[in-house]
Amino acid sequence: MTHEELRGQAGAYVLGALDAADRDEFEAHLPGCVECRADVRSLNRVTEALACAAASREPSPRLRARVVAGSAAPRPFPVSRTVLPWFLAAAASLALAVTAPYTFRLRDETRQLAATLRDLTAQLRDRDRQLVAVRSEVSLLAAPDVRRVDLRGQPAAPGAGARAFWSRTRGVYFVASNLPPVAADKAYQLWFVTTAGPVSASVFTPDERGSAEVVAGINPGMAAPTAMAVTLEPAGGVPAPTGNMYLVGAVAQE
Amino acid sequence: MMWLGFAALGRAPAVSTPVSDRDAVALAAAGDGAGVTALYDRHARAMYALALRIVQAEAEAEDVVQEVFAQVFRQAGRYDASRGTVVGWLLTITRTRAIDQVRARRRHGHDFSRRASEAEAANVPAPGADQERQALTAEEIDRVRRALADLSAEQRRAIELAYYEGLTQSEIAERLAEPLGTIKSRIRTAMLRLRDALGTESPLNAAKAP
Repeated sequence: MTHEELRGQAGAYVLGALDAADRDEFEAHLPGCVECRADVRSLNRVTEALACAAASREPSPRLRARVVAGSAAPRPFPVSRTVLPWFLAAAASLALAVTAPYTFRLRDETRQLAATLRDLTAQLRDRDRQLVAVRSEVSLLAAPDVRRVDLRGQPAAPGAGARAFWSRTRGVYFVASNLPPVAADKAYQLWFVTTAGPVSASVFTPDERGSAEVVAGINPGMAAPTAMAVTLEPAGGVPAPTGNMYLVGAVAQE
Repeated sequence: MMWLGFAALGRAPAVSTPVSDRDAVALAAAGDGAGVTALYDRHARAMYALALRIVQAEAEAEDVVQEVFAQVFRQAGRYDASRGTVVGWLLTITRTRAIDQVRARRRHGHDFSRRASEAEAANVPAPGADQERQALTAEEIDRVRRALADLSAEQRRAIELAYYEGLTQSEIAERLAEPLGTIKSRIRTAMLRLRDALGTESPLNAAKAP
C-alpha cells in the first residue's frame, strides 16, 4: 500500500478493525512515518471518547464491595469470568498458607531424593562395567583354545606367583599375588616372549596387598609364544623389556 | 524511591485521598488495595457503561468490571504512562474483556482478545513522542457523542460494529453484505469526522479555523 492508502487506514487501526495482514503492514509502516503516528495519536482520542460515550449508567453498590474485597488481599487470585466464587479464592489462599511449610519440606526431600538417585545411577553404571568385564573373562575361560600358564616368582620377588589364561581369539586373563609394591614412577609390564621376541600384553600396578588382575586383548597374528614374563619398568611401559624380571612361566608347546 | 512516597499514603480511605490516577495505579502496583478503590470510585461508571453497551446485560457487565479491576490489581505494574491516560487504559481493558465475553457467549472463540491485546500494546506507538496526555473533558466526550449521532446511519453502524462488537473491516463487510472498499472508506470518513468534532490535532480542522 502507498503511504496515502495506509494513512487512510489509521481510523480502522485505532478501532482495532484492521484485518491481520493490513494491521501488520500498517504497524510496520508506523515507526517510520511521523504523519501516521500523529494520526494514530489524535484518532486514539476518538476511541477514548467512544469508550466514554456509552450512556452513563450506575453499577449496583454490590459491585464496589466486590471490587474492594478483591483488592483487599495483597495477592489477588484470578476471578472466574462468570459468577463470583470468592469462597473458592479464600479456600485456595487458606490452603496455600497451610501447605507452605510442607511445600518447603517437600522441596528438601525432593532435592535429597535427586542426590540419592544420582549416586545409585553412578553405582549401577559401575556394576554394568564390572558385569561386562566378568562376562568377557568367562567367555575367555570357556574359549576352546584357552591355555593356562603358571608364572613363578623370581629372585626379585620370591614369594610372588601368577596364573594366566590366554586365547588367541579372546585375549588374556592374568591374576598375580604377593608382588612387591612399586614406586610411583614404576609399573609392572606383562610380556609374551615369542619366537619373534617379547610382545607387551599389558602394563599394571598391584593393589596394596600385592595382588593384580589384568584383562587384555592379544594380536591374533602374534608369533608363537614360548613364555610369559613380568618385568619392572618405568610407569607407562616400554616397547621392549629393560628391567628386572619378577615372574616367569613357560608356555607349553602345542 | 517513589514507592516510599506512595507507601506513606498508607491505607487511608481512598475517597478522601487526593491521589492522581497515576498514583492510584502505582498504589495498586505496590499491592495496596486503596489504589484500586480510588480507581473504582473515579472510573467504574464509565467502565460499567462501556461494558453494558457491549455485553447488553447488567450482571455480565458487572462481572466484566470486576474482572478488569482484578486484572488491574494484578498487572498495575504494566501500565505505561507514555502510552496513554489511566482511564484510556482501563477502558481499553474493559472493552477487550467485554467483547471477549460476548464472543465466548457466542462460541466465537477468543481470537479477539489476542488481536485486541496487540492493538492495546500498539496503542500510541510513537516511542517517547508523547507528552503527558490529559483525560478527555466531559465537554469533549459530549461533542463526540453528538458527532456520532450526526453521522449517517451507515457510518454510525460501521463504527459501532468495529468498536463495540470488535469486528474487523472484512467482518463488517460480510455482516452488512457490502463491498470491503465501501466499509473501509465509510470508517475512514466517520473517524475523521469524529476527530474533527473532538477538535484535536487535526490539520484539516486547523485549516478550517477562521
